[in-house]
Amino acid sequence: MSWLPLSFGAPMVLWGLIALPVIWWLLRLTPPKPQAEVFPPLKILARVLSREETPQQSPWWLTLLRLILAALVIAALADPVWNPREALPTKGSALALVIDNDWASAPDWDKRVATAERLITDAGKKGVPVIIAFTSEKPNAEIGPFDATAALDHLRAAKPRPIPTDRPAIYARVAQKLSGMPDASVAVLADGLAAKGDREAFDSLLSKNAANVVWAVPDRLDALVLADAQNEVDGFALTAIRAPGDVAPRQVTAGAFDEKGRRIADATLNFAAGATTATGTMKVPFELRNDFSSIALDGERQAGAVRVLDDSAKRRRVGLLSQIDADQAQPLLSPLFYIRRALSPFADLIDPSGADLAKSIPQLLERKPAMIVMADVGTIPPETRQKLIDWVDNGGTLVRFAGSRLAAAGNDDELLPVHLRTGERSLGGALSWTTPQPLSDFPRTGPFADLAPPKDVTVSRQVLAEPGPDIVERTWANLADGTPLVTGLKKGKGMLVLFHVTAEATWSSLPISGSFVEMLRRIVQLSRNQGAATVETGPSATALAPYRMIAADGALVPPPSDARPLLPSPGQPVTIENPPGLYGSQTGVFAHNLLNAKSTLAPLQRPQIGVPVTTVRYAFDQSRHLKGSLIAAAIVLMVLDTLAVFWIGGAMARFRRRPAAGATAAALLIALAALAVQPNPAKADDSKPGDEAAIEAIDKTRIAYVLTGVPKDDSISRAGIEGLNRFLIEKTALDPGPPAGVDIGKDELSFYPLIYWPIDPAAPMPSQAAIARIDAYMNQGGTVLFDTRDQFSSSIDDGSASPATGRLRDILGNLNVPPLEPVPPDHVLTKTFYILPEFPGRFTGSPLWVEASPDTSGSESRPVRAGDGVSPILITANDFAGAWAIDANGNPLLPTVPDDPMQRVYALRAGVNIMMYMLTGNYKSDQVHIPALLERLGQ
Amino acid sequence: MANIGQLQAPTIAGEALARGRGHAALVPDLLVEARRIVNTVITGWHGRKKRGIGENFWQFRPYVEGEAVNRIDWRRSARDDHTYVRDREWEAAHTVWLWADPSPSMLYKSAAAAASKQERALVLVLAVAELLSRGGERIAWPDLTDPFTARNGAERIAARLVHAPESQAKPDLSAIRRFADLVLVSDFLDPVEETFAWLDALARRGARAHLIEIADPAEETFPYAGRTEFTDPETGEKLTAGRAERLADDYRRLYIARREELAAWCRRRGWSFITNHTDRPASEALVRLHMALSADGFLTKGSAA
Repeated sequence: MSWLPLSFGAPMVLWGLIALPVIWWLLRLTPPKPQAEVFPPLKILARVLSREETPQQSPWWLTLLRLILAALVIAALADPVWNPREALPTKGSALALVIDNDWASAPDWDKRVATAERLITDAGKKGVPVIIAFTSEKPNAEIGPFDATAALDHLRAAKPRPIPTDRPAIYARVAQKLSGMPDASVAVLADGLAAKGDREAFDSLLSKNAANVVWAVPDRLDALVLADAQNEVDGFALTAIRAPGDVAPRQVTAGAFDEKGRRIADATLNFAAGATTATGTMKVPFELRNDFSSIALDGERQAGAVRVLDDSAKRRRVGLLSQIDADQAQPLLSPLFYIRRALSPFADLIDPSGADLAKSIPQLLERKPAMIVMADVGTIPPETRQKLIDWVDNGGTLVRFAGSRLAAAGNDDELLPVHLRTGERSLGGALSWTTPQPLSDFPRTGPFADLAPPKDVTVSRQVLAEPGPDIVERTWANLADGTPLVTGLKKGKGMLVLFHVTAEATWSSLPISGSFVEMLRRIVQLSRNQGAATVETGPSATALAPYRMIAADGALVPPPSDARPLLPSPGQPVTIENPPGLYGSQTGVFAHNLLNAKSTLAPLQRPQIGVPVTTVRYAFDQSRHLKGSLIAAAIVLMVLDTLAVFWIGGAMARFRRRPAAGATAAALLIALAALAVQPNPAKADDSKPGDEAAIEAIDKTRIAYVLTGVPKDDSISRAGIEGLNRFLIEKTALDPGPPAGVDIGKDELSFYPLIYWPIDPAAPMPSQAAIARIDAYMNQGGTVLFDTRDQFSSSIDDGSASPATGRLRDILGNLNVPPLEPVPPDHVLTKTFYILPEFPGRFTGSPLWVEASPDTSGSESRPVRAGDGVSPILITANDFAGAWAIDANGNPLLPTVPDDPMQRVYALRAGVNIMMYMLTGNYKSDQVHIPALLERLGQ
Repeated sequence: MANIGQLQAPTIAGEALARGRGHAALVPDLLVEARRIVNTVITGWHGRKKRGIGENFWQFRPYVEGEAVNRIDWRRSARDDHTYVRDREWEAAHTVWLWADPSPSMLYKSAAAAASKQERALVLVLAVAELLSRGGERIAWPDLTDPFTARNGAERIAARLVHAPESQAKPDLSAIRRFADLVLVSDFLDPVEETFAWLDALARRGARAHLIEIADPAEETFPYAGRTEFTDPETGEKLTAGRAERLADDYRRLYIARREELAAWCRRRGWSFITNHTDRPASEALVRLHMALSADGFLTKGSAA
């Protein structure tokens, strides 16, 4: 089977294929069993059938189908494997795996794991112990020896780290473990990058007991890394490097990302053929550059292709120097005032602590500003002068403004861009016939070339430059008559700039023009920062906490648990405790990058090894077991065979002939499918406790009564409302539900249109909360019928109220009771169902109090007063419930006073009217328009 | 896959007792059903509707010279000046022979049919027996009873059938005389030549036969499909068809041709031929038979009712 990437786990089973001809012979002999049918007119059928030849054997295609089926089953039992992997050459009493999991291993880490898995699986089959060590892990990580299962667990738990390898330490540990195991296999799964101490590391690793070596490095080192990113004048200069083995020309795109990971700029870097370095510039505006948080090479999924940036690449620090103490009373005359206002939006301004130049200049230089602005500083103390010159030579930008001191101090070739004439020039003064000069266009060669020339700036005094051969190229701005106004000179890596006017508005109007800001800003952009922001070093330096780390795949992630705070100083090594990334906090960060500008990617050289070496490639295990597929194919064939047998047996034709049966079968299939596919729709149970009671309460209109706590009162109330219900059912269309006794402190009241409340002084006073609920109920449209039932029990003396009335007053004192009045003769309550002049109960004579109607005048022509809404409160003393109350047989429970049968009828009618009033409101008062409406309709 | 047709009450050769029990269980029900069916056609069966020798009054008619004087009805003639003769209705009894095919092929009943062919045949025969008995006709069963007249003719026939010996042979028809009617209920699946040979003597003797063909719907429509093995219930012969649905058209043509041939042969002899399917009501055939028996010489055509 060498021509096929196929092997069998149990090749002996394939001998079973010999049985195929036998199966074929058997299959040929046994046609499918026919359907047996009794058929009386056989003689007639025999005459027809004699003409057709009956197949005595199976059709050839069915036999073929079954043979293939048998062959598939036999092949599946033989356990075939597609693309079988070759066994890796490990032997000996132990296997030691040393795996590089540094940043360069991240892109194809899965392949490395797969390779290592194969090695471990082979070792596991042989039962030898496995030592597994990762070169970028902590030096004290557990390395074994393990059995194969534990080793695989360790392997799967490992992940690439965004840090370099530490081969010497790890290899030494492995060698130490190996010392007790003679004849061990050592598998080196390297990332292909050389590191410091490789030679010694390999020597120590292979010195002990290594019987053979499995050597795996990537086929090619195609990692591109970003070695440097510098914020230059006109953009970010990027430097990418690659390994020397990679010689093809290559183009790569770098992207810059802000703090939130948004891509805000691009640059293209080109590797020439054979070159290991590519540079490119990200030409974006200065403001945008300040938003850069990280720069990454596209398509490189490893930590080396990402650089994080901190403040040192962003805002420039500008030192300000002046010898005139700022007069706080006259800030506009301070020389630094305009500079400060112009620079503060886009630069960090540093002020020295004192005016003494000898101290303040070193103080400023210590903080490594990108630029120092000197406003009219004439003489610089000699002890600091050299420091300043060195600073400029190393890249500092010194901006000086003229003034009387500078003019008096004379020339300074090293710290002035041009040679100055002594003294100053005055234009437009009393003794001069010239006029103040405006600025001309900025020279094309200078850095201000693309700025708009200020039209309104005039210069009345300036210091003059000595003309020289190079004065033109040093001139960045000049006046209309050609004399230089701003001159600049590159000195060393740095720059010297001189404004020939003062920094305040005495000599010219330049400092108060917009161009001044533009010019200063351009100079700031030209400057470059001179180092990290933090200058504290030594024991007092504070360590910065990890803030955003570069993960092994190049993503910026929150710090892992093993990241430690970092002392912010350049040159700190990248270790597992200080992985690359940003340290600090949101307010200020320090960038800790994996590589620096001097980094190179050297390929790892295979050391001279005295023992046999096998080189393997990183690759995935591509073997596939075909057993499942073959069995699945066999099952499909089996289904086909079943269908074919059905077809031969005539089931299909029978279904066709009997469409009902076919439709039934189809419907059954569809139902089964639907049953299988459709998940049982879960029905959310949204019921809440008390739902049943609420549904019961609102199912029918129910009249409620207050459970006073006195059993006698409650039973009378209930019986009374039952009596009223019966009367309502007899006389009206209303079919009320059974009376509802409510506890006003607990029960929901809003279900009931009317609550009957018999006042009994013996009952406990309802709580404030209960009264508040009643108040809310009344405000929301409910009505409470208070019944004091004391019409004849009040004392003769009018001034004293009965106890029930007193209790009612107590209750009403806590309620928002509207103004009340006895039911007037034209109130709608007198007409809602029956026409009633009064509302007697068991007693008679007490008026029924309702909410006072707003307006009674102007409605003489109307029999009923208009008015909206329903009175929220009804008060009577007539004991309605006593008059309504009936027993189970329908007989009255209590006698009326006086004992008049009609009074009970009137009481019930009053109840009907009240109930109709509850349910229909002022409907009856609208009915008074009916005569007018009918008249208009021509009736 | 359920069979389309099966033998309803499978008969084991020699088990006369079991067969008798089967009959006994079957006959009372059949009697009831036969009576029910008869009730639908009983009207108009009595009487010959013409004068003749009988017991019931038919008409008075004027005396004609030359008639026997003793036929004058003096009681009627005394009422007026004319002389009347009293005619009686002709009520001559008629012999009808009944026979239902007892062969095993009659036991067949397909899924679509309401009853087996044998059941249907017995129902029909007993219904006819009931009808004829009520009408006072003489009924008989070849090889079983001689002609007799009885009110409970159907019961007696049934009782005889229960105790009849097992016989698949065709009955001897030599006892049937001229002017007798013969009702033959069978599936007539034998080759038509055999049937013709059997009935030809009858035709030559001047008897009149009414052939009722009981057909199962499965026999006529041939709903079989696929590989099917067919068994003849009489001979046990087997035939295997590879694709039965292909045979359907040819088979149906032959089946219908056989029926047409039988019907034409009957028509030529002035006999009636009636087809009854077991998925149709038995009363259809009974009504047709009634018409055929009562029609004087006019024959209904066999139809695929």
